[in-house]
Amino acid sequence: MTVEESDLVLVKRVQRGDKTAFDLLVRKYQHKVVKLVLRYVRNPAEAEDIAQEAFIKAYRALPQFRGDSAFYTWMYRIAINTAKNSLASRDRSPIAYDLDLTDPEESHSVQTKLQDPDTPEGMALTEEIRLIVNSAIEALPEELKTAIVLRELDGLSYEEIAAAMECPVGTVRSRIFRAREAIDKRLREVFEGGLGRTEEMV
Amino acid sequence: MNEERDSQLSAMFDGELPQAECELLARRLTRDEILRAQWSRFSMIGAALRAERGVALHDRVAWRVQSMVAQEATYGDGSVDAAPTSRTAVIVPASELKAASAARWLRFARPAAGAGIAAGVAAMSIFWLRTQDDSQTILAAAPVTESIVLQPDTSSALVARNTAPAETRASNGEPERYVTPAPSSSASIVPPARLANYVVAHSEYSGPLSRRMALLGLVATDPSEVPATLDEESQESLAAGAADAP
Repeated sequence: MTVEESDLVLVKRVQRGDKTAFDLLVRKYQHKVVKLVLRYVRNPAEAEDIAQEAFIKAYRALPQFRGDSAFYTWMYRIAINTAKNSLASRDRSPIAYDLDLTDPEESHSVQTKLQDPDTPEGMALTEEIRLIVNSAIEALPEELKTAIVLRELDGLSYEEIAAAMECPVGTVRSRIFRAREAIDKRLREVFEGGLGRTEEMV
Repeated sequence: MNEERDSQLSAMFDGELPQAECELLARRLTRDEILRAQWSRFSMIGAALRAERGVALHDRVAWRVQSMVAQEATYGDGSVDAAPTSRTAVIVPASELKAASAARWLRFARPAAGAGIAAGVAAMSIFWLRTQDDSQTILAAAPVTESIVLQPDTSSALVARNTAPAETRASNGEPERYVTPAPSSSASIVPPARLANYVVAHSEYSGPLSRRMALLGLVATDPSEVPATLDEESQESLAAGAADAP
Protein backbone atom coordinates (compact mmCIF):
# COMPACT_ATOMS: atom_id res chain seq x y z
CA MET A 1 0.00 0.00 0.00
CA THR A 2 1.17 3.53 -0.73
CA VAL A 3 0.60 6.86 0.98
CA GLU A 4 -1.92 7.66 -1.78
CA GLU A 5 -3.93 4.52 -1.08
CA SER A 6 -3.71 5.06 2.66
CA ASP A 7 -5.06 8.59 2.25
CA LEU A 8 -7.74 7.32 -0.08
CA VAL A 9 -9.06 5.10 2.71
CA LEU A 10 -9.59 8.23 4.80
CA VAL A 11 -11.03 10.19 1.86
CA LYS A 12 -13.61 7.46 1.23
CA ARG A 13 -14.59 7.56 4.86
CA VAL A 14 -15.15 11.31 4.59
CA GLN A 15 -17.25 10.75 1.48
CA ARG A 16 -19.33 8.27 3.47
CA GLY A 17 -19.94 10.85 6.20
CA ASP A 18 -17.01 10.54 8.59
CA LYS A 19 -15.83 14.08 9.31
CA THR A 20 -13.21 12.85 11.77
CA ALA A 21 -11.40 11.13 8.91
CA PHE A 22 -10.98 14.56 7.32
CA ASP A 23 -9.52 15.82 10.59
CA LEU A 24 -6.89 13.08 10.31
CA LEU A 25 -5.96 14.25 6.83
CA VAL A 26 -5.71 17.84 8.05
CA ARG A 27 -3.56 16.86 11.02
CA LYS A 28 -1.29 14.89 8.72
CA TYR A 29 -0.79 17.62 6.11
CA GLN A 30 -1.30 20.90 7.98
CA HIS A 31 2.41 21.58 8.43
CA LYS A 32 3.23 20.76 4.82
CA VAL A 33 0.41 22.97 3.54
CA VAL A 34 1.46 25.88 5.76
CA LYS A 35 5.03 25.46 4.58
CA LEU A 36 3.82 25.47 0.98
CA VAL A 37 1.75 28.64 1.49
CA LEU A 38 4.73 30.32 3.17
CA ARG A 39 6.36 30.40 -0.24
CA TYR A 40 3.70 32.93 -1.26
CA VAL A 41 3.14 34.88 1.94
CA ARG A 42 5.78 35.66 4.52
CA ASN A 43 3.54 36.04 7.51
CA PRO A 44 3.08 32.66 9.27
CA ALA A 45 -0.29 33.72 10.70
CA GLU A 46 -1.53 34.63 7.25
CA ALA A 47 -0.15 31.38 5.90
CA GLU A 48 -2.16 29.51 8.53
CA ASP A 49 -5.31 31.40 7.55
CA ILE A 50 -4.79 30.52 3.92
CA ALA A 51 -4.07 26.91 4.78
CA GLN A 52 -7.27 26.81 6.81
CA GLU A 53 -9.25 28.23 3.91
CA ALA A 54 -7.66 25.74 1.54
CA PHE A 55 -8.66 22.81 3.75
CA ILE A 56 -12.25 24.05 3.94
CA LYS A 57 -12.35 24.35 0.15
CA ALA A 58 -10.97 20.84 -0.09
CA TYR A 59 -13.67 19.53 2.23
CA ARG A 60 -16.37 21.16 0.14
CA ALA A 61 -14.90 19.74 -3.06
CA LEU A 62 -14.26 16.28 -1.63
CA PRO A 63 -17.40 14.63 -3.05
CA GLN A 64 -15.93 15.29 -6.52
CA PHE A 65 -12.55 13.79 -5.61
CA ARG A 66 -12.28 10.47 -7.43
CA GLY A 67 -8.78 9.46 -6.42
CA ASP A 68 -7.26 9.95 -9.88
CA SER A 69 -4.40 11.76 -8.18
CA ALA A 70 -3.02 11.57 -4.67
CA PHE A 71 -4.94 13.49 -2.02
CA TYR A 72 -1.90 15.60 -1.20
CA THR A 73 -1.29 16.51 -4.86
CA TRP A 74 -4.92 17.59 -5.11
CA MET A 75 -4.66 19.47 -1.82
CA TYR A 76 -1.40 21.04 -2.97
CA ARG A 77 -3.15 22.54 -6.00
CA ILE A 78 -6.02 23.88 -3.90
CA ALA A 79 -3.57 25.47 -1.43
CA ILE A 80 -1.53 27.15 -4.18
CA ASN A 81 -4.67 28.51 -5.84
CA THR A 82 -5.98 29.79 -2.52
CA ALA A 83 -2.66 31.48 -1.75
CA LYS A 84 -2.56 33.11 -5.17
CA ASN A 85 -6.15 34.31 -4.83
CA SER A 86 -5.36 35.67 -1.39
CA LEU A 87 -2.39 37.60 -2.73
CA ALA A 88 -4.47 38.98 -5.60
CA SER A 89 -7.28 40.14 -3.30
CA ARG A 90 -4.80 41.68 -0.84
CA ASP A 91 -3.23 43.67 -3.64
CA ARG A 92 -6.62 45.04 -4.57
CA SER A 93 -7.80 45.94 -1.05
CA PRO A 94 -6.15 48.55 1.19
CA ILE A 95 -4.74 47.38 4.52
CA ALA A 96 -6.82 48.68 7.43
CA TYR A 97 -4.59 49.88 10.23
CA ASP A 98 -7.28 51.51 12.31
CA LEU A 99 -9.03 48.90 14.36
CA ASP A 100 -12.17 49.55 16.34
CA LEU A 101 -11.76 47.54 19.52
CA THR A 102 -15.35 48.20 20.53
CA ASP A 103 -16.43 46.10 17.56
CA PRO A 104 -16.63 42.48 18.85
CA GLU A 105 -15.47 41.01 15.55
CA GLU A 106 -12.44 43.23 15.26
CA SER A 107 -11.65 42.77 18.92
CA HIS A 108 -11.71 38.99 18.45
CA SER A 109 -9.45 39.38 15.43
CA VAL A 110 -6.92 41.35 17.45
CA GLN A 111 -6.99 38.80 20.25
CA THR A 112 -6.43 36.02 17.74
CA LYS A 113 -3.48 37.87 16.26
CA LEU A 114 -2.02 38.29 19.73
CA GLN A 115 -2.07 34.52 20.13
CA ASP A 116 -0.47 33.83 16.79
CA PRO A 117 2.41 31.39 16.66
CA ASP A 118 4.74 34.19 15.65
CA THR A 119 4.27 35.72 19.08
CA PRO A 120 7.22 35.11 21.39
CA GLU A 121 5.26 32.44 23.25
CA GLY A 122 4.34 30.57 20.07
CA MET A 123 7.85 30.83 18.73
CA ALA A 124 9.28 29.58 22.00
CA LEU A 125 6.98 26.59 21.94
CA THR A 126 7.91 25.70 18.39
CA GLU A 127 11.59 26.08 19.19
CA GLU A 128 11.16 23.95 22.31
CA ILE A 129 9.53 21.15 20.31
CA ARG A 130 12.28 21.29 17.70
CA LEU A 131 14.95 21.02 20.37
CA ILE A 132 13.20 18.08 21.99
CA VAL A 133 12.78 16.23 18.70
CA ASN A 134 16.37 16.85 17.67
CA SER A 135 17.81 15.83 21.03
CA ALA A 136 15.62 12.70 21.01
CA ILE A 137 16.86 11.88 17.52
CA GLU A 138 20.48 12.28 18.62
CA ALA A 139 19.90 9.90 21.51
CA LEU A 140 18.53 7.16 19.24
CA PRO A 141 20.58 4.11 18.30
CA GLU A 142 22.18 4.51 14.89
CA GLU A 143 19.88 2.11 13.00
CA LEU A 144 16.74 3.81 14.33
CA LYS A 145 18.11 7.26 13.54
CA THR A 146 19.03 6.27 9.99
CA ALA A 147 15.61 4.71 9.36
CA ILE A 148 13.59 7.72 10.58
CA VAL A 149 15.83 10.23 8.78
CA LEU A 150 15.59 8.33 5.49
CA ARG A 151 11.84 8.27 5.89
CA GLU A 152 11.12 11.81 7.07
CA LEU A 153 13.88 13.80 5.39
CA ASP A 154 14.50 11.84 2.21
CA GLY A 155 10.94 10.56 1.83
CA LEU A 156 12.01 7.02 0.98
CA SER A 157 9.53 4.16 1.09
CA TYR A 158 10.03 1.25 3.48
CA GLU A 159 11.20 -0.91 0.60
CA GLU A 160 13.79 1.65 -0.46
CA ILE A 161 14.98 2.03 3.13
CA ALA A 162 15.20 -1.76 3.44
CA ALA A 163 17.38 -1.87 0.34
CA ALA A 164 19.56 0.96 1.63
CA MET A 165 19.96 -0.56 5.08
CA GLU A 166 20.13 -4.16 3.82
CA CYS A 167 17.44 -5.45 6.11
CA PRO A 168 13.87 -6.79 5.71
CA VAL A 169 10.96 -4.37 5.25
CA GLY A 170 9.47 -5.56 8.55
CA THR A 171 12.63 -4.48 10.34
CA VAL A 172 12.39 -1.04 8.74
CA ARG A 173 8.80 -0.71 9.90
CA SER A 174 9.80 -1.70 13.41
CA ARG A 175 12.77 0.68 13.48
CA ILE A 176 10.76 3.64 12.28
CA PHE A 177 8.03 2.91 14.80
CA ARG A 178 10.51 2.59 17.66
CA ALA A 179 12.21 5.83 16.66
CA ARG A 180 8.86 7.64 16.59
CA GLU A 181 7.85 6.07 19.87
CA ALA A 182 11.04 7.28 21.56
CA ILE A 183 10.59 10.83 20.25
CA ASP A 184 6.88 10.78 20.99
CA LYS A 185 7.56 9.79 24.57
CA ARG A 186 9.65 12.94 25.03
CA LEU A 187 7.01 15.06 23.31
CA ARG A 188 4.23 13.66 25.47
CA GLU A 189 6.13 14.68 28.57
CA VAL A 190 6.20 18.25 27.26
CA PHE A 191 2.56 18.30 26.21
CA GLU A 192 1.29 16.66 29.36
CA GLY A 193 3.38 19.16 31.32
CA GLY A 194 1.24 21.90 29.83
CA LEU A 195 3.84 23.51 27.62
CA GLY A 196 2.25 22.55 24.35
CA ARG A 197 -1.47 22.64 25.01
CA THR A 198 -2.58 23.49 21.54
CA GLU A 199 -6.20 24.08 22.51
CA GLU A 200 -5.15 26.92 24.78
CA MET A 201 -3.52 28.61 21.88
CA VAL A 202 -6.60 28.46 19.65
CA MET B 1 0.08 0.67 25.61
CA ASN B 2 -0.71 -1.47 22.63
CA GLU B 3 2.60 -1.71 20.79
CA GLU B 4 1.22 -3.55 17.77
CA ARG B 5 -1.51 -0.94 17.30
CA ASP B 6 0.99 1.91 17.58
CA SER B 7 3.26 0.18 15.10
CA GLN B 8 0.29 -0.06 12.72
CA LEU B 9 -0.41 3.62 13.26
CA SER B 10 3.16 4.51 12.33
CA ALA B 11 2.98 2.33 9.21
CA MET B 12 -0.39 3.81 8.24
CA PHE B 13 1.00 7.31 8.63
CA ASP B 14 3.70 6.36 6.12
CA GLY B 15 1.20 4.63 3.82
CA GLU B 16 2.87 1.27 4.42
CA LEU B 17 0.04 -0.60 6.10
CA PRO B 18 -1.94 -3.26 4.19
CA GLN B 19 -5.31 -1.95 3.07
CA ALA B 20 -7.44 -4.25 5.22
CA GLU B 21 -5.56 -3.23 8.36
CA CYS B 22 -5.68 0.39 7.24
CA GLU B 23 -9.48 0.27 7.00
CA LEU B 24 -9.76 -1.16 10.50
CA LEU B 25 -7.33 1.32 11.99
CA ALA B 26 -9.03 4.24 10.25
CA ARG B 27 -12.30 3.18 11.87
CA ARG B 28 -10.59 3.03 15.24
CA LEU B 29 -8.87 6.37 14.73
CA THR B 30 -12.16 8.14 14.20
CA ARG B 31 -13.31 6.95 17.62
CA ASP B 32 -10.10 7.29 19.61
CA GLU B 33 -8.92 10.81 20.42
CA ILE B 34 -5.73 9.56 22.09
CA LEU B 35 -4.76 7.74 18.92
CA ARG B 36 -5.54 10.84 16.86
CA ALA B 37 -3.32 12.91 19.15
CA GLN B 38 -0.54 10.43 18.56
CA TRP B 39 -1.16 10.72 14.83
CA SER B 40 -0.76 14.50 15.21
CA ARG B 41 2.51 14.10 17.05
CA PHE B 42 3.85 11.84 14.29
CA SER B 43 3.09 14.67 11.88
CA MET B 44 4.77 17.13 14.22
CA ILE B 45 7.88 14.96 14.52
CA GLY B 46 8.23 14.95 10.73
CA ALA B 47 7.78 18.71 10.55
CA ALA B 48 10.32 19.28 13.31
CA LEU B 49 12.85 17.01 11.61
CA ARG B 50 12.44 18.83 8.32
CA ALA B 51 13.05 22.09 10.21
CA GLU B 52 10.28 23.83 8.29
CA ARG B 53 10.94 27.47 9.02
CA GLY B 54 7.94 29.51 10.05
CA VAL B 55 5.80 26.42 10.53
CA ALA B 56 4.43 26.40 14.03
CA LEU B 57 4.47 22.96 15.61
CA HIS B 58 0.95 22.65 16.90
CA ASP B 59 -2.49 21.67 15.68
CA ARG B 60 -4.03 25.11 15.47
CA VAL B 61 -4.93 24.84 11.79
CA ALA B 62 -6.44 21.41 12.41
CA TRP B 63 -8.47 22.68 15.36
CA ARG B 64 -9.84 25.61 13.37
CA VAL B 65 -10.64 23.46 10.34
CA GLN B 66 -12.32 20.87 12.55
CA SER B 67 -14.59 23.45 14.15
CA MET B 68 -15.52 24.87 10.74
CA VAL B 69 -16.07 21.45 9.16
CA ALA B 70 -18.44 20.63 12.02
CA GLN B 71 -20.76 23.29 10.61
CA GLU B 72 -20.47 21.94 7.08
CA ALA B 73 -22.69 19.34 5.45
CA THR B 74 -22.03 15.67 6.12
CA TYR B 75 -21.55 13.56 3.01
CA GLY B 76 -23.02 10.14 2.39
CA ASP B 77 -25.60 8.80 4.79
CA GLY B 78 -23.37 9.34 7.81
CA SER B 79 -23.46 5.67 8.71
CA VAL B 80 -19.84 5.10 7.91
CA ASP B 81 -19.35 2.62 10.71
CA ALA B 82 -22.10 0.44 9.31
CA ALA B 83 -21.48 -1.77 6.31
CA PRO B 84 -19.44 0.18 3.78
CA THR B 85 -21.35 1.23 0.69
CA SER B 86 -18.52 0.37 -1.63
CA ARG B 87 -15.71 -2.05 -1.26
CA THR B 88 -12.30 -1.76 -2.76
CA ALA B 89 -11.11 -4.87 -4.51
CA VAL B 90 -8.20 -6.36 -2.63
CA ILE B 91 -6.02 -8.98 -4.24
CA VAL B 92 -5.54 -11.70 -1.69
CA PRO B 93 -3.48 -14.83 -2.32
CA ALA B 94 -5.45 -18.07 -2.55
CA SER B 95 -3.64 -19.53 0.43
CA GLU B 96 -4.72 -16.56 2.57
CA LEU B 97 -8.27 -16.93 1.32
CA LYS B 98 -8.28 -20.60 2.33
CA ALA B 99 -6.81 -19.78 5.71
CA ALA B 100 -9.36 -17.01 6.21
CA SER B 101 -12.17 -19.34 5.18
CA ALA B 102 -10.95 -22.04 7.56
CA ALA B 103 -10.60 -19.51 10.34
CA ARG B 104 -14.13 -18.25 9.68
CA TRP B 105 -15.47 -21.83 9.66
CA LEU B 106 -13.61 -22.62 12.87
CA ARG B 107 -15.04 -19.53 14.52
CA PHE B 108 -18.54 -20.90 14.11
CA ALA B 109 -17.69 -24.59 14.34
CA ARG B 110 -15.90 -24.39 17.67
CA PRO B 111 -18.88 -23.22 19.74
CA ALA B 112 -21.19 -25.61 17.89
CA ALA B 113 -18.87 -28.55 18.51
CA GLY B 114 -18.52 -27.54 22.13
CA ALA B 115 -22.28 -27.35 22.54
CA GLY B 116 -22.67 -30.74 20.83
CA ILE B 117 -20.12 -32.38 23.10
CA ALA B 118 -21.73 -30.82 26.16
CA ALA B 119 -25.16 -32.03 25.05
CA GLY B 120 -23.79 -35.52 24.39
CA VAL B 121 -22.18 -35.69 27.81
CA ALA B 122 -25.40 -34.47 29.41
CA ALA B 123 -27.45 -37.07 27.53
CA MET B 124 -25.02 -39.82 28.47
CA SER B 125 -25.13 -38.69 32.11
CA ILE B 126 -28.92 -38.72 32.13
CA PHE B 127 -29.00 -42.13 30.49
CA TRP B 128 -26.42 -43.50 32.92
CA LEU B 129 -28.21 -42.00 35.93
CA ARG B 130 -31.51 -43.41 34.79
CA THR B 131 -29.93 -46.82 34.27
CA GLN B 132 -28.39 -46.64 37.70
CA ASP B 133 -31.68 -45.54 39.17
CA ASP B 134 -33.54 -48.36 37.47
CA SER B 135 -31.09 -50.99 38.62
CA GLN B 136 -31.19 -49.61 42.13
CA THR B 137 -34.98 -49.63 41.99
CA ILE B 138 -34.92 -53.21 40.84
CA LEU B 139 -32.49 -54.12 43.58
CA ALA B 140 -34.53 -52.29 46.18
CA ALA B 141 -37.75 -53.73 44.89
CA ALA B 142 -36.45 -57.26 44.90
CA PRO B 143 -34.44 -57.76 48.05
CA VAL B 144 -32.74 -61.03 48.53
CA THR B 145 -34.86 -62.84 51.05
CA GLU B 146 -34.45 -66.01 52.91
CA SER B 147 -37.56 -67.89 53.90
CA ILE B 148 -37.72 -70.35 56.68
CA VAL B 149 -40.64 -72.63 56.30
CA LEU B 150 -41.90 -73.95 59.57
CA GLN B 151 -44.51 -76.17 58.12
CA PRO B 152 -44.35 -77.77 54.79
CA ASP B 153 -46.99 -76.34 52.65
CA THR B 154 -47.33 -78.08 49.41
CA SER B 155 -50.05 -75.82 48.19
CA SER B 156 -48.00 -72.71 48.48
CA ALA B 157 -44.63 -72.20 46.99
CA LEU B 158 -42.02 -70.01 48.52
CA VAL B 159 -42.80 -66.59 47.31
CA ALA B 160 -40.67 -63.64 47.81
CA ARG B 161 -42.77 -60.59 47.81
CA ASN B 162 -41.57 -57.28 46.72
CA THR B 163 -43.30 -55.53 49.49
CA ALA B 164 -42.75 -56.14 53.17
CA PRO B 165 -43.17 -59.78 53.78
CA ALA B 166 -46.59 -60.62 55.03
CA GLU B 167 -46.80 -63.05 57.81
CA THR B 168 -49.07 -65.94 57.35
CA ARG B 169 -50.56 -66.81 60.65
CA ALA B 170 -51.73 -70.17 61.70
CA SER B 171 -54.89 -70.70 63.51
CA ASN B 172 -53.11 -70.66 66.86
CA GLY B 173 -51.82 -67.17 66.16
CA GLU B 174 -48.30 -68.30 65.57
CA PRO B 175 -46.84 -67.36 62.23
CA GLU B 176 -46.50 -70.23 59.90
CA ARG B 177 -43.28 -68.94 58.43
CA TYR B 178 -40.84 -66.18 59.02
CA VAL B 179 -39.09 -64.23 56.43
CA THR B 180 -35.71 -63.12 57.54
CA PRO B 181 -34.50 -60.13 55.69
CA ALA B 182 -31.07 -60.28 54.24
CA PRO B 183 -28.51 -58.71 56.51
CA SER B 184 -27.84 -55.16 55.68
CA SER B 185 -24.48 -54.67 54.16
CA SER B 186 -24.03 -51.38 55.95
CA ALA B 187 -24.06 -53.09 59.30
CA SER B 188 -20.70 -54.60 58.77
CA ILE B 189 -18.91 -52.11 56.71
CA VAL B 190 -15.81 -52.13 58.82
CA PRO B 191 -14.68 -55.17 60.70
CA PRO B 192 -14.17 -54.51 64.39
CA ALA B 193 -10.48 -55.33 64.14
CA ARG B 194 -9.90 -52.74 61.45
CA LEU B 195 -12.04 -50.24 63.30
CA ALA B 196 -10.09 -50.74 66.49
CA ASN B 197 -6.78 -50.44 64.67
CA TYR B 198 -8.03 -47.33 62.91
CA VAL B 199 -9.17 -45.71 66.14
CA VAL B 200 -5.86 -46.42 67.80
CA ALA B 201 -3.82 -45.30 64.85
CA HIS B 202 -5.70 -42.02 64.59
CA SER B 203 -6.30 -41.41 68.25
CA GLU B 204 -3.99 -38.42 68.32
CA TYR B 205 -6.22 -36.62 65.82
CA SER B 206 -9.54 -37.33 67.50
CA GLY B 207 -11.06 -35.74 70.53
CA PRO B 208 -10.99 -37.65 73.81
CA LEU B 209 -14.76 -37.98 73.94
CA SER B 210 -15.18 -39.33 70.43
CA ARG B 211 -12.26 -41.74 70.94
CA ARG B 212 -13.81 -43.00 74.12
CA MET B 213 -17.18 -43.47 72.48
CA ALA B 214 -15.65 -45.42 69.64
CA LEU B 215 -13.73 -47.67 71.99
CA LEU B 216 -16.79 -48.20 74.14
CA GLY B 217 -18.67 -49.17 71.04
CA LEU B 218 -16.07 -51.77 70.33
CA VAL B 219 -16.08 -53.06 73.87
CA ALA B 220 -19.83 -53.29 73.76
CA THR B 221 -19.77 -55.53 70.74
CA ASP B 222 -20.25 -59.24 71.06
CA PRO B 223 -17.11 -60.77 72.60
CA SER B 224 -17.17 -63.36 69.89
CA GLU B 225 -16.72 -60.59 67.40
CA VAL B 226 -13.78 -59.10 69.19
CA PRO B 227 -11.05 -59.86 66.82
CA ALA B 228 -8.24 -62.04 67.69
CA THR B 229 -6.14 -60.16 65.22
CA LEU B 230 -5.89 -57.02 67.31
CA ASP B 231 -2.39 -55.96 67.83
CA GLU B 232 -1.05 -55.40 71.31
CA GLU B 233 -1.35 -51.65 71.19
CA SER B 234 -4.99 -51.86 70.20
CA GLN B 235 -5.72 -54.28 72.98
CA GLU B 236 -4.09 -51.97 75.48
CA SER B 237 -6.06 -49.05 74.16
CA LEU B 238 -9.24 -51.02 74.38
CA ALA B 239 -8.54 -51.85 77.97
CA ALA B 240 -7.66 -48.26 78.74
CA GLY B 241 -10.82 -47.05 76.99
CA ALA B 242 -12.92 -49.42 79.03
CA ALA B 243 -11.25 -48.24 82.19
CA ASP B 244 -11.79 -44.62 81.27
CA ALA B 245 -15.40 -45.16 80.54
CA PRO B 246 -17.60 -43.64 83.18
